[in-house]
Order: sequence, then C-alpha cells, then structure tokens
Amino acid sequence: MRLVAAELVESREILPRQWLQSYHAPSLAIGSRAGQFVHVRPGDFSGLVLRRPFSFNTIDAATGVVTIHFRAIGRGTDWFAHLRTGDSVDMLGPLGRPFEVDPRSRRVLLIAGGLGIAGVRMLADEAIGDGRQVVLLFGAASAAEVYPSNLLPDEVEYIVATDDGSLGHRGYVTDLVTEYEGWADQAFACGPAPMLAALARLAAGRRERLGVAKLGRKGGGRTDAPGSAAARRKSFLQVSMEQNMGCAVGACLGCVVMGTSGQPQRVCREGPVFAADELDWEAGW
Amino acid sequence: MKAGRAASSGKAHATRHRPGRDRRPGPVVEPIGGGPAEVIGRIDLSVELAPGLRLDNPILVASGTFGYGIEYGDVVDVQRLGAICCKGTTLKPRIGNVTPRVTETPAGMLNSIGLQNPGVDAVIERYAPTWAGWQVPVIVNVAGESVEDYVEVARRLEGVPGVAGIELNISCPNVGKGGLQFAIDADAAGAVTAAVRRATDLPLLVKLSPNVADVRPIAKAIEKAGADAITAINTLSGIAVRPDRSRPLLGNIYGGLSGPAVKPVALRIVYEVAQVVDIPIVAIGGVSELADALDYFAVGACAVQVGTAVFADPTLPIRIIDGLEAECRRRGFDSFRPLIGTALPRKPGASSAKGVEYRP
Repeated sequence: MRLVAAELVESREILPRQWLQSYHAPSLAIGSRAGQFVHVRPGDFSGLVLRRPFSFNTIDAATGVVTIHFRAIGRGTDWFAHLRTGDSVDMLGPLGRPFEVDPRSRRVLLIAGGLGIAGVRMLADEAIGDGRQVVLLFGAASAAEVYPSNLLPDEVEYIVATDDGSLGHRGYVTDLVTEYEGWADQAFACGPAPMLAALARLAAGRRERLGVAKLGRKGGGRTDAPGSAAARRKSFLQVSMEQNMGCAVGACLGCVVMGTSGQPQRVCREGPVFAADELDWEAGW
Repeated sequence: MKAGRAASSGKAHATRHRPGRDRRPGPVVEPIGGGPAEVIGRIDLSVELAPGLRLDNPILVASGTFGYGIEYGDVVDVQRLGAICCKGTTLKPRIGNVTPRVTETPAGMLNSIGLQNPGVDAVIERYAPTWAGWQVPVIVNVAGESVEDYVEVARRLEGVPGVAGIELNISCPNVGKGGLQFAIDADAAGAVTAAVRRATDLPLLVKLSPNVADVRPIAKAIEKAGADAITAINTLSGIAVRPDRSRPLLGNIYGGLSGPAVKPVALRIVYEVAQVVDIPIVAIGGVSELADALDYFAVGACAVQVGTAVFADPTLPIRIIDGLEAECRRRGFDSFRPLIGTALPRKPGASSAKGVEYRP
C-alpha cells in the first residue's frame, strides 16, 4: 500500500457517461494484480470528503500506466471525468486481495454485468498471458451500453447479452452461464448484487449438475482455511464485490458484506474478491 | 498537580500572553524588519490529558477512523501521532449494523457502523501486545449498553500493557440500546462516569454527544464524576435518502454526521464547555487542516482529534503536527499553549450567562 501521485495521460468517454482513464503510476503498475483496486482522492476536500475506489482495469508494467473505468454518477465521479491530461491525482493502493486462479485451470470464464467489466477486465489480460483460454460473458441493458470489443484482447471469446435483445442474447447474462459451466475450469464475476447472487446459486449446484470431479487430491488432503488464498484458488466461482467504502484499508468497517461464518467481511480487506461460498447471499447485506 | 488545573491555568494565561515577555522561550533570533522573534530550539507540543497520560503533541486520531492503529501500515508513521483512539470496544463481540453503513454528504459523511468489534477480550489479545511496543499512547474507546458493561470493560483494560487510557463513548448515535441514552442526561452521564472512575485508575476521557439541547450540565456532571478530560464531539444524528427515494439510504436508517460540515457545531460546543469545566477538552469535528486545529485551540481545546479527514488524507495528522510546530516557531512561541483559549470571553462565564441565542 502506497500513496502515489498519478498523472492523467488519457481520458476517453468509451460509452455514454462511462470513462476510461489512463494514469502514469509506475509504482502501482508493478506488483498489483487483477481484482485489486486503488482509492483515489477527489481534489476538492471541502465538498468531497471520501476517496473513490476503482478496480485496476488494465496495467501496463512496461509504460507504468494503469487504467480505471467508471461511470459518472455523482459529484465525485463527475470530478474525475472533468480532469484534463496532465492533472495529477492522489492514489492509495494497491488495495484488497486479488483473484486467485488455480494454476491448473486452462479455461477461464469471466462474467461481467455492465460496469462490472471494470472489475474483471484485467483478469483477461493475466489469464491470456498465462496461456489460458478466456470466454467473457457480458450483460447490459441495451446495445448502447455494451463494452467495445476493440478494448479486449483478440484472444478473448466475447459473448454479449442485452436485456432488450438489441445485441446478442436477449435476456440476462446469467442465462448464458449454463452453456459454459461445463467448459470452464473456473469462473470470475463482477456486477450488480442480484447477478452475483444468481451466479453463486448456479455455482453451488454446478457440481451436482455436471457430476464433475473436485479439483484437488481425492479423499481430502488438507482443508484450507475459508478465505485463504489457497481456498479461493480451489473455488469454482470468485466474485468481486462492491460496497460503499470509507477508508479502504480496513479501519472504518464501513464496506462489509456478510460472510457465511456469520461475521461481516470487509470488502476492502478480505475482499473485494471472495469465493462465492464465503458469502451469505441471503443475508440481505 | 492535576492535569486539568495545568491546562486551565494555561488557558487563562494565554489570553494575556505576549510573546517573549511573560515567558522564557528558547533561543531566539531577532527577526529582520520586525515581527515576532522566531524560536530556534525545540517547540514544546506536549500536553497532559490526565495524570499519567502525557502526549508528545496534541494531535490524535479519532475512534472509528483509524481502526486499531495498524491498518494504515507504512502509509502513516503512527509513532509520531499524539495518541490513537481505537475503534469502539464493547464487552461482547458485535457484528454491527446492516449495510450500507457509510455515505458521503455535502462536506461530510454519514456512518452507521453499529459498533462492530470483536469484544474487549479479543481486542486485548490481538492488539495490546502491538500497542505495548509503541511509544504512541493508545486510548481504548469503550462503548456499552449498561453501566455494568462499561465498568466491566474498564476493569478488563486496567493494567493491560499497551492501554494508555479509556475514552468513554457514551454518545454513539448508531446503536439501538447504545450509549446515547447516557449522553443526553446529566445524571446518567455522571453516573456512568463515576462508576467507571471507581473501577479503574486508567486515564479517563468521556466523549460528549452534540445531540442534546444544552451540553453544559452534562459536561459539568462528567467533570464532577471524576473524568480526567472531555472529548467533544461525537457525530450528529442524521439520515440520507436513496437516489430512487424508495427509502432511507443507510441500512440502519440513522447515521452519524462527521466531516467539515459539523465543525461549526463542534466549535460552538467546545466553546461552551470550555467555559464551564476546568478539565482538558479534546476537540473533534471536521478537522481537515491546521487552521481547524488552531480554531479549536482558540475556543479552549488543548488537543484535537482528526477523524473523517484521515480517509481522504492519511498523512494529514502528521502534517498538522508539523504545521503546528512551524506556526509556534513563526509566532515566537516555545509551546502551543499560548494558542489555547484566545477566543474565549475575557470574563469567564460572561457568555454562558446569556445562554445560547441561536439554538432553536
């Protein structure tokens, strides 16, 4: 975790009210992993007292450039949208725990709902770099909101669902999952809470539906502690969670989600990535 | 000498203070072209909040914004802080309130954490050994639902290496049966303070709620019951509404407002309390730059806590400490004490006798 002055090098409105911004931040570009995030300070503290969390969207270690992708939905994100090239912002990061891909996984399924693409986008780069096959299922309200395919690596198989059927499958992105759950070794998702809850239910029943063998040694071996990186590596579905956030370092306990253990889990510290079975999807938190 | 006397005499002294005349500062250099002489030697920023609780400087971090002192890691040099007030601690573990728990508001934020904490025994086991190795004092913020709760938590903290003091949170607005009931009534506030005072010799701060009609009788009752110092203020009760207007935004509906938005309220309360008690006042409410701390000193606080602003800038408390030292140096003071109480009425009690004109 470091405090870094990051200079805006490019800002593009890639979709209506959605910005993709590139920042020069070499010390964040090295050692940060997909799923982690930065907590960025809007300049005007007199009005905006909280930082805003953004997942790493992509990282280019060679040029020291990190990108973030966000929708301008309020005063804070509007402030970022109005930044100009050359402006500097204060980034705290890298924060949170990353996606954990099992080294044996050859086929990786990414599932994104709307702006949730910002949470899993970087994992596509990492997985391809590691020689894995990647399918990205993307859901949006309509064609106008669909993430541009030219912003994805060529190797990604990109499948779209829209609520109104204006592009790709008509319906929810979760409808597409059953087609790929047999193909995929692991799945990683980010998006609205109802979508993630639906995916968690699907994942819980997957083994029974498919009759697939569990990864790992037959008849046990050691059991990894829930929430540990090793346990997450073995889970089929990992989700990147979103929650209103205060400090982003685990101090204020503002950003919790309920765990199956009955203990609130901090999105900023134990997350933002969780194995789907670590969370209590019925708790209504 | 009791800490309170020291602080109050400093306060009274400050209003008549003239740099370089009635004090003996360290070596000075005659300024070129007039103005106060700049102090070259060490500036004394220390402050004694209670017998046995002397801080190297008057800048603390506020309970609930700094966890247990370890969360900010290398980003903040915690050893330079005046003190750390840790997250509110209760007798039994609490899982806290449903989410959302925080939201930004104009120049502030609402929080409704609901005192999530692992309970006093776990806090002692997990964090006190680390604190014991630190020079910076850690003040444990204590919350409860009954006098017995507070007393028992205080007993368990007594004598634990690494625990420098207690800050009684009798004013958390975010828990149903929580401490707020103690903070809105002078008798109840005095009773819980006295009970904890009997139970422990630890330095004892009591944190006031702003959610009352008149805070002064409550402050006086707390002083009379044996508190070493008063922290003012806790958050103001408030709500926000969801963007779709379907219901209040916070899971708990009610939250506590903090940040720059509350500073005028906190200043007013410190100003009022400073005129009716002699024990030290630790001010808290929207401190986001040195000038805010100086304002609080001017109305009688002898230390300040930085809370919400830490989220935006974790390095702010350290920069305020450096800024305070530079300010003293620039003005020719060898300590920050001359800054305390300069905006208070000359005749103690003059303003308070008139009451507060603008309260609805």
